[in-house]
Amino acid sequence: MTRLLKNRFALPAALLVAVGIGGLLSFATGAGAQGGQANISSGGGVGAGNFNSGVALPPGVGSPNYLGGPKNSGGANSSIRVYAKVDGRRVLVAYGDKDIIYKAPPASFIAAGEALFAQNCASCHGAQAEGSAIAPNLVGVGPATVDFWVSTGRMPATTTNTVQAERKPPRLDATQALEVAAWVNSLSPAVPYVPYPNLKGANVADGADLFALNCAACHTITGLGNALAYGTFAPSLHVATAREVAEAIRTGPANMPRFTGNLNDAQVRDIVAYVTDYIQHPTNIGGAGLGGVGPVAEGFVALLVGVGGLALVSYWIGDRA
Amino acid sequence: MTDVRSGQPPGDGAAGAARPSVPVARLDDPHLQPAARHPRRVEGIVALSFLVGIVCFGGFGGAYWLNAKPWIIGTFFGAGLLALGFGLAAWGKYLMARGPFVEERHHLAGSAAERDAMAAALVQRTGAVVKRRRVLGGLFAAGAGLFGIVALFPLLRSLGPLPGKIFDVTNWRRGSRLVDSNGRPVHVDTLEVGGIMTVFPEGWQNTDEGQAVDQTVLIRVSTLDTVTRPGRETWGPQGYLAYSKVCTHAGCPVGLYEQQLQLLVCPCHQSMFDVLDGAVPRFGPAPRPLPQLPLRVDRSGYLRAQRGYGQPVGPGFFERTTT
Repeated sequence: MTRLLKNRFALPAALLVAVGIGGLLSFATGAGAQGGQANISSGGGVGAGNFNSGVALPPGVGSPNYLGGPKNSGGANSSIRVYAKVDGRRVLVAYGDKDIIYKAPPASFIAAGEALFAQNCASCHGAQAEGSAIAPNLVGVGPATVDFWVSTGRMPATTTNTVQAERKPPRLDATQALEVAAWVNSLSPAVPYVPYPNLKGANVADGADLFALNCAACHTITGLGNALAYGTFAPSLHVATAREVAEAIRTGPANMPRFTGNLNDAQVRDIVAYVTDYIQHPTNIGGAGLGGVGPVAEGFVALLVGVGGLALVSYWIGDRA
Repeated sequence: MTDVRSGQPPGDGAAGAARPSVPVARLDDPHLQPAARHPRRVEGIVALSFLVGIVCFGGFGGAYWLNAKPWIIGTFFGAGLLALGFGLAAWGKYLMARGPFVEERHHLAGSAAERDAMAAALVQRTGAVVKRRRVLGGLFAAGAGLFGIVALFPLLRSLGPLPGKIFDVTNWRRGSRLVDSNGRPVHVDTLEVGGIMTVFPEGWQNTDEGQAVDQTVLIRVSTLDTVTRPGRETWGPQGYLAYSKVCTHAGCPVGLYEQQLQLLVCPCHQSMFDVLDGAVPRFGPAPRPLPQLPLRVDRSGYLRAQRGYGQPVGPGFFERTTT
């Protein structure tokens, strides 16, 4: 023991190890911090979760514009349009092209969806999905919006006392989500329909460019998500499915902007392919991804390895040969 | 480093009688022996390390000249310094005479004859010691000299040319059509409410200058004409608002748009700009609102700039005059 203490390298090396273990522990415990941010200003009533907040918006601001037809949601140049006769009327049931097909949930789902909505959604959104002081009006939002919120588990929400609904294990399964979407859409049919991206032939490199341009600002270049204003955050993309990514891009859930006319279906498909391919399975050519959380983890390693290494080198220089 | 063993040349009787005689050290004295067990091998390592340093500094100069990627330049620079430093440290550590040296206290001032003899001995003996490593000394001088020269490159390049009016004006002109990064013009139907995109003046997309100063965020907040500040009554046709994407704090791209909060957030230092109120900063270090670009819709339904920004975009600078 005394011999170990006399070794000039023992103290700095022990310090390095101690700092390293402490840092790793702090990263491990900090991993849940992003989820915690959602509650930071939950008492503040910042308007994100407060749908009658009294904030005076100019006419038209914030009101959904979903009813203008499918022209900007992939339908403008749709090479595929499928119609069906429902009660003697001609109804668009699917549109799109070889890159993404947007399908309305089948009409046979409507009855089951009505029951599910009454059980799980109506207490906040109202019996006819007309909305309330704590939940938005869902009439005319389109099936993709409903499917996104329900299939990611964000809805039904367990509490209204948060700034932002978080992803959690879904209470309704994939089919039930479509059933709810079918009933809500039957109240006032609207686009976008539920997108089914065809990832064969997708250009992942183009997707990376488009991701950097349109998505990385909030979701970060590694797709891990990041904090935004007033306790909101951009969620991690590492668990999102291809359909969910396409739905989010086309519908703009919560604070996310909608991407419609400025991204065509091929571009959305490329972004989806990049997210489900590279973002979710990074190669980390640098060796270690360090969680992909950015400068904190990287700076920690740089300080530990860089400055710690310099300390050991200076011990070598000053040590007697 | 003092080594008294070289102090007294033989035959200096007058001074020698005054104090105990100190034996003259020989070159093979154990105290002068290198600490390394294999001096030749260490010499080789040191020489190799200096050579690596020379090659790396040469590489730095060449890479800088060719405008190579920063990490290539930095790797050459760092490796060169590391190699030179390692060589120097190893030289001092393993090849220089090491103590402990013992000096008996005696009269501080020596006689003239003693000083002459000391000087002669220094020239004779240390000259012999240094001459033995003449190659190493030369290599180190070459490496250090080359480092001094290439270190001047960045300094020289930073002396010009002057930036001129590049900070004051952008390429947005009266009637500039808004295009995306692929050059596609933006139609009034392109965005729906809640949409955002980055636009450039036509002809400047995908250019270095365009991406530096012209980048502009286009947001649609409404379907109706939108007024953000008094005096900007016509700037937001059909709910389209355009703001400079260059943050007024440190020049980062302000690309985070939160459509429910109607905030633009800068990813670098979390400045938050109120989209519906002329992008006035609501939080964070940004000192000024983002400049707004006045828009109009032309007869074919495409978006155009009414005129340029009318003020410098981005962070402040010494000569910035308008507020």
